Amino acid sequence: MSRVLTAPPKAAVPPRDPSEKAVRRRSIKRDGIWPWVFIGPTVFGMGLFYVWPVLQTFYYSFTKWGVFGGSKFIGIENYVRLLSDSEIPQSLLNTALYTAIVLLGIPIAMVLSALMETPGMKLAGFYRTLYFIPYITMPAAVGIVWRLIFNGDFGPINWFLSLFGIQGPYWTSTPGFALVAVALVGLWMSMGFNLIIMGAGMREIPREMYEAAEMDGASRLRQFFSITVPLLTPSIFFVSVLTVIGGFQLFDLLYIMMGKSNLAMPQTQSLVYIFYNQAFLQNDKGYAAAIGILILAVIAILTFIQFRVQKRWVNYV
Amino acid sequence: MSSLAIPVGRPVKRGRHVLAHIVLGGGALLMIMPLLYQVVMSISTNEEVQSTPPIIWPSVIQWHNFADVFTMMNFGSSLKVSILITVIRVVGQVVLCSLAGYAFARMHFRGRGLILALILSLLMVPGQLFLIPQFQIIQSLGWLNTIPGIVAPGIFSAFGVFLMRQFFMGLPDELEDAARMDGANPFQIFTKIMLPLAANGVWALAIITVLWSWNDLLWPLVIASTQDAAPLSVGLANLQGEHSNNYPILMAASIMAMAPILVLFIALQKKVMAGIGRSGLK
Amino acid sequence: MTNLNRRTFLSVAALATATATLAACGNNGTPGSGAAAGDYAAPPKDISAELTYAIWGAAQKPFLQESIDEFNKEYPNIKISIDVTPSKGGAYWTKIQTLASSNTLPDVFWMNGPKIKLYAQNDQLLPLDGIVAAKAVDLANYPQGLVDLYTVDGKVYGIPKDYDSSAIFYSKSLVAAAGVPEPTADWTWEDLKKHSVELSKFYEGKGIHGVTADLTGGQTSYYNTILGAGGVVITKDGKKSGYDSPEAIEGVQFWRDLIEAGASPSMQQITETYSADLFRSGKAAITMEASYEAGATFEAMGDDVKVVPLPKGPVSNQSVIHGLANVIPANSKNPDAARAFVAFLAGKKAAELQSASGQVISAFKGTQQAWVDALPGMGAQAFLDAAESASPYPASKNSGAWGKYEQDLLPPAFAGTKPVADSAKELATKMNEALAQEA
Repeated sequence: MSRVLTAPPKAAVPPRDPSEKAVRRRSIKRDGIWPWVFIGPTVFGMGLFYVWPVLQTFYYSFTKWGVFGGSKFIGIENYVRLLSDSEIPQSLLNTALYTAIVLLGIPIAMVLSALMETPGMKLAGFYRTLYFIPYITMPAAVGIVWRLIFNGDFGPINWFLSLFGIQGPYWTSTPGFALVAVALVGLWMSMGFNLIIMGAGMREIPREMYEAAEMDGASRLRQFFSITVPLLTPSIFFVSVLTVIGGFQLFDLLYIMMGKSNLAMPQTQSLVYIFYNQAFLQNDKGYAAAIGILILAVIAILTFIQFRVQKRWVNYV
Repeated sequence: MSSLAIPVGRPVKRGRHVLAHIVLGGGALLMIMPLLYQVVMSISTNEEVQSTPPIIWPSVIQWHNFADVFTMMNFGSSLKVSILITVIRVVGQVVLCSLAGYAFARMHFRGRGLILALILSLLMVPGQLFLIPQFQIIQSLGWLNTIPGIVAPGIFSAFGVFLMRQFFMGLPDELEDAARMDGANPFQIFTKIMLPLAANGVWALAIITVLWSWNDLLWPLVIASTQDAAPLSVGLANLQGEHSNNYPILMAASIMAMAPILVLFIALQKKVMAGIGRSGLK
Repeated sequence: MTNLNRRTFLSVAALATATATLAACGNNGTPGSGAAAGDYAAPPKDISAELTYAIWGAAQKPFLQESIDEFNKEYPNIKISIDVTPSKGGAYWTKIQTLASSNTLPDVFWMNGPKIKLYAQNDQLLPLDGIVAAKAVDLANYPQGLVDLYTVDGKVYGIPKDYDSSAIFYSKSLVAAAGVPEPTADWTWEDLKKHSVELSKFYEGKGIHGVTADLTGGQTSYYNTILGAGGVVITKDGKKSGYDSPEAIEGVQFWRDLIEAGASPSMQQITETYSADLFRSGKAAITMEASYEAGATFEAMGDDVKVVPLPKGPVSNQSVIHGLANVIPANSKNPDAARAFVAFLAGKKAAELQSASGQVISAFKGTQQAWVDALPGMGAQAFLDAAESASPYPASKNSGAWGKYEQDLLPPAFAGTKPVADSAKELATKMNEALAQEA
């Protein structure tokens, strides 16, 4: 992955990354002891609090791990079970759909922030604050509110649909709809962060480019697609990576919005949810460790792919 | 559709702004609707909140719910803990992540790529996975029920290192080279020249850390077994009962817990805006 | 006996059949010397210790604090702080399990039925037979079903604190308006079915159903009807699932029939709106519900809500009884102070404080009247009567493993997307696999 991050892009875009230039200019010179002074504390802390637990998890994934400690080596048994567990592929599919819906927030955020960043736009700061609020709410409280909003019998959404003669579904307990409901809340929560990144990204686009396009008689719509979108690709990339990673962390919302026994749970649950249940409810911690390693592997692969593919579509100015 | 348009030098016609306001205002209303409903719940009685269909507005406004929060939980002491752990985390992350981010962006050393890849891959692991191993580490350090115990794992952030690296990569070489010629050592270059230039990144990291630290629940819940070590997120979670809930108190408390962050956001909006946005580049 | 050192004592205990009898032969020596072995004598009044008492019900903190104050009159130097962790979302058990994995369990903490064997059989808990043998606690004071729940392999690991049993709640006004007779103690399943269908018919189009119950868990609903049909969820030795028996299937089918007949809201409706809330809001005329909802329901409905015993099934109208117990970790650092505190909590004084709060029914017999009195005219005595004949909450060493299967496999049966018998048999198969893993 590191190679992907630091190697010069092979695409048509010329390498502009300053560190790339530096690499070529001083390819042999190293900075001696200094880098280690700089990264030392972080490497130590990461090693202690993160790398060590990962290694431990990896070890325990090959064991039958007692609820309160003690373990017995059982080889790849947990992984064999993982392959035959039908919940696993279904949950990966669930995560993919969830992530796809939350990713829709990115184009929405682009349009909204384009509006906010229009020169002379009044109240932009006010809007920004309103859109940011969901990002800072505590999931425990707001999840309860969303549960009510999506309630099949009494929720405002179905009341609204009924005005048009549509009978809304039982959102949080119907397979398919439950995933959509949870993902919409995920989208809602991520909007503030997306908007801020997009908005500031837009403000770094040189004005002159729009002025030139204006002179050439390009419509505003055309300007949006031929200037704003391409120049915003680094921000889009950054947000997409975080959104995909975020998709794999889905946990709290599931618990709060759906409860523990729910008809739609198999078609909604995430891998972390299965991990948590295996580790803390069903007390099969060795199997849970194997699921944990799978989570790590899947996210690492996806992020690797994203960094690979970025060279084809992300424009670094 | 032309209201989709984008920053342009000349002022836009008024009519277009009206359309933009309609879109933005409508969207904003959708965004804060659940929170408005939370406010309504916070000033209702528990029976009203749990009645079906739900009420639109309480028959008598129950402002005392906000006052009751203070008797139901130790709000003041939890607020203090929240502020303390948030400040320590922010300062710690800013120092550690900007140092490391700078090294990864601008320095050359053996294993750089490998170490960075390792750190980045840690960004991705959901917190539940680390719970028991991290707990045991904190325990062996003797930090259970202490502020250092709550704060320690959160000071090290793969996200923060990644964010700061992106920022430092976007800065020009020239100043750094000049300083080097003048005989400054890397630490001086970092503190005197590069760090001030990355102020936007520092602000971005700070506000994101504030949010994560403020809302972090699972870890402090497990580490803090005494009331004096419980931050707001934990105090709030403890308001929930097993079978029945006092929803109005819960909602009032969560609004109160949110307020300091909202004020902070509004106050820092300009800096934050510039800050977080830059992290998307490069 | 105090002359024996611990190892000698343990070897003696291993030979002896009843540790408790040995322990009862008196202990005048230094406190704590025989804690792990099980003997107990009330520690000297000036013993000093700092204890943490971990619980999950924030609402119970006030009267527990009162109990601690009372306890401190006797033991002024034992400082006790209450640590509340919510049970919602599994937080309490996640924390306790993490603490247990690191040998840092709180000095005294709440235990429930599904988890007791897991902790007891994995040597996480201190046997409390010593307190019983020393007559500091008399087990005859608690419902037998509860005592059984917390007795594992012949040893007492938890002293019951409170309990909940189930009964029928109904709204007088909704039943009367529909011209349906009020439920009585003599109702059978057939009466309940017939009249709730009538109620649903009468209120058709108004969103009101005849009967509802919480089907996202078994305690207040299908656990009781499985007993009523003469079945069990799990065999008494905790080794086999009872779900594949015709009786258990009949107990589960009961709810599917009510939903299918339109007498009960659908599985989805009950998932999205808690059934007790549906009942309190007048969206159901009758509900099968546990005593822990009695207080809130009385507060919301007043004179309109009445309680009668469960309807009689083919075999019985037995209710499941569940209750919490106070337990002490095996490696307790303050076993004597902790046991003194648990003994106090098990006593009459603490039970009375608990009953007077109106929150939960105290497990201590004869102290529950205050709880019944707090719900005048409701008929809450039915819960106490139900407790007398109740069956313990079904549990095994690792209840969580198959509890998850119940949560996953039964909703489709109630919703009608899968035949009840198929679901029950699949559940039994998976549950037996999980139980086999426990050995």
